[in-house]
Amino acid sequence: MRSSLHNFKRLLAVALALCAALPSRSQTPNDGFTMSKGEICLVAGYGQARWDQYWEGTLLRENPNLGTFNSRMIMPMLGYGLSDKLNLFASLPHIANSSTAGQMSGKKGWQDLSIDAKYKLVKKKNKAGTFYTFLAAGFSLPATNYAPDHLPFSIGLGAKTLSGRVIVHYEHKSHLFATIQTGYIMRSKITVDRQSYYNEGQVNSNVMPVPNVWDGAVRLGFNNKRLRVDVHYNWMLSTSGSDIRWNDMPYPFNRMNAQTVGIQGLLWIPGVKGLAIHGNVDQVVNGRNVGKAMIWGTAIQYVFNPFKKEKKS
Amino acid sequence: MKKIVAAGLVILMISCNKDVVERTIPAFEPVSLDTAGGSWKTVHLSGSAEIPVTAPESVNSGTYKAELDQIVSLQASVSAADNRLVSQWKNSGVIRWNEVARELVASYNLPPKANPDGTYPVPSAANPGAIPKFPFANPPYASRAYAYLHTAIYDALVTVWANKFKYKRMSPARNDSRIRALETIQEGLPSYPSEDAAVAQVSFRMLKVLFPNDTVMLKEMADGQKRAKLLSGAASPTDIAAGEAIANAVAEKALARLRTDGMGQAVGNPNIWAALEAGAVAKGNNTPWKSMETPARPMMLSQFGNVKLWRMSTAQRDSLRPPPPPYPGSEQFKKELAEVQSIKREGNSREWQIALYWADGAGTYTPPGHWNEIASAKFASEKLNELRIARAYSLLNMAMSDAAICCWDTKAYYFTARPSQIDPSIKTIGLPNFPAYTSGHSTFSAAASVVLGYLFPASSANYEAMAKEASESRIYGGIHFRADCEVGLRCGTAIGGFSVKFGRNDGSN
Repeated sequence: MRSSLHNFKRLLAVALALCAALPSRSQTPNDGFTMSKGEICLVAGYGQARWDQYWEGTLLRENPNLGTFNSRMIMPMLGYGLSDKLNLFASLPHIANSSTAGQMSGKKGWQDLSIDAKYKLVKKKNKAGTFYTFLAAGFSLPATNYAPDHLPFSIGLGAKTLSGRVIVHYEHKSHLFATIQTGYIMRSKITVDRQSYYNEGQVNSNVMPVPNVWDGAVRLGFNNKRLRVDVHYNWMLSTSGSDIRWNDMPYPFNRMNAQTVGIQGLLWIPGVKGLAIHGNVDQVVNGRNVGKAMIWGTAIQYVFNPFKKEKKS
Repeated sequence: MKKIVAAGLVILMISCNKDVVERTIPAFEPVSLDTAGGSWKTVHLSGSAEIPVTAPESVNSGTYKAELDQIVSLQASVSAADNRLVSQWKNSGVIRWNEVARELVASYNLPPKANPDGTYPVPSAANPGAIPKFPFANPPYASRAYAYLHTAIYDALVTVWANKFKYKRMSPARNDSRIRALETIQEGLPSYPSEDAAVAQVSFRMLKVLFPNDTVMLKEMADGQKRAKLLSGAASPTDIAAGEAIANAVAEKALARLRTDGMGQAVGNPNIWAALEAGAVAKGNNTPWKSMETPARPMMLSQFGNVKLWRMSTAQRDSLRPPPPPYPGSEQFKKELAEVQSIKREGNSREWQIALYWADGAGTYTPPGHWNEIASAKFASEKLNELRIARAYSLLNMAMSDAAICCWDTKAYYFTARPSQIDPSIKTIGLPNFPAYTSGHSTFSAAASVVLGYLFPASSANYEAMAKEASESRIYGGIHFRADCEVGLRCGTAIGGFSVKFGRNDGSN
């Protein structure tokens, strides 16, 4: 079993938000699979999130002046096995948000640069299978000066983030696996162009607080040399923030929560070593101040080790 | 790696704290007394003499001594809550009430949702708590609210000043060595009647009519301000009662105007809306305004142009109504449309940032609120006394309220389309639901900058530049043509001039 960054779930988190652009610290290095020392993993992904209903606070509503919201994302990612235990990841998505109705300008651009590290803390093997525990940490920064305060069209929330994560992974000899992971994402305050705003009261400042997030996922799947598939449940809970007001626009300080269910798969292409295609489909099933999005993504990934002279196998 | 860890720790620290430090108005002691302020020309009253105020008891009287004893005993056991109250009200009360008004506007500036049948409900002053809550504090409503609040405060303070320097009864802290001044009490400013009590009471009386759902909160604030002044040794119970009495008399007068100023008819009705469109076509407008919302929403306050003006006559309003704008098909129109089309809005840019800076759209304190905030900081930095602050807000907000009325009159008269009605590919920062010509932002901003430039001549070029930027921000935002903005600035400048003229002749100079 090789590598990888098969996980295209950053897209999911990004697309979850009403803005389709939560900065999404969640889950790049959130799976239970690793790269070996010296391995490089290149990923090129594309995904979309669409919704025509959103939660205004806890009220699920439509908005004929928004129509269907559409977020498209191009996602280049890079992974590197610094050692067999420590893997590093970098990514920088390009996002384009638009809607089918209404007068608001769409937005597009390069979003946040993320750097993550995943460390294999525990590996215990017995007859039945292998048990792993990973620790992951990362940070992200806006890569451009995009405007976060034009939700839901802003391509991101503009915050710097720092995250920590624990991943517990078990792989049974039957190739069935289970992963449970959870993390906490701290997000900085942001400076916006407007000089004051209403957040449960008038705030005379151009600084907005962006809520921190507690998130996680449970996944059950099958993994062998050729194929990996899973079903999963994800959650994302803001630990502060206010609701979108009655008939108001969303803001970066809103309490954005979401629960999603989805499936994903990774198929190694026969005959081309290290090449795989990936796909996922997710549906937001419950939320607060986010769009009820259907999200799909696809990616191609290539894993190779330029530092090791390998004999042909 | 160390750098990354250090950077991470910094992010950790800043992200744990979600508190936002707001801009605040610094404490200051006013530089002037304006002992003749009682003679200044008032807005609602014929003059300060209209409200008779009886002479206070002498400082040696038993009644007054009893008042002082009461304050001494209050000060003997000042609670933490009392201290907070004193601290909360030690700065300009007039500025504080302006902030309260801005917050209320932001709280109520949300458009009603459509009914299932595609019509839109109108908030009801008679049933303010029903959804949609009353009021919808859009820019015209807000400009009017700020104007009523501040003209009433101004008239009350002129009357207060007249009696302060007529009777010259100083503060309890000055009159009794047992009473500590828990805040700075302006040197030489008499306490009878209390300016704070007048400001608190008149603000409460005006704002509870303008924002009836918040009566309880407003009452608590007004009571808090009065109690703070009692605790701090700034005012005695009869100082406060005299201030309240003046406030109530002024409020009656201002509210009588408010109830009959035409706001009740400002929404219009389907016949009026149809007539506006037909009228515009008859005047040569080949592409009358259509609501771009779904379902189509009637023009916001289509009859607001008929609301009673502050410093102008309706004849002056009509004479200031500008000539028609370039209509679709004309060369000039094509040029102006091309300008709106030429601005890129999908990324971020200096233009987009300016558009956001001045947007002041739904859910905010509106452009008049923005100018009030700009003005508030200036009043504090210039250390104006309460009367001068009241006068400045009054002039500023009469100008912006007249600007709203004249601008809405023009909008309803010409009923012109927004850029995205002509070219649906133009997407915006958020499209206001009323005709384009002339730009409200431009009219408000020019009127405000003219008044502020009159009050603070050294900063006038700065205010003018800000108004121009606010005006052009609407082209950047994709919602106005250049003619809307430039003509709006010209009209706003002229409208502001009427308020300035009042200021020049009000006896304060």
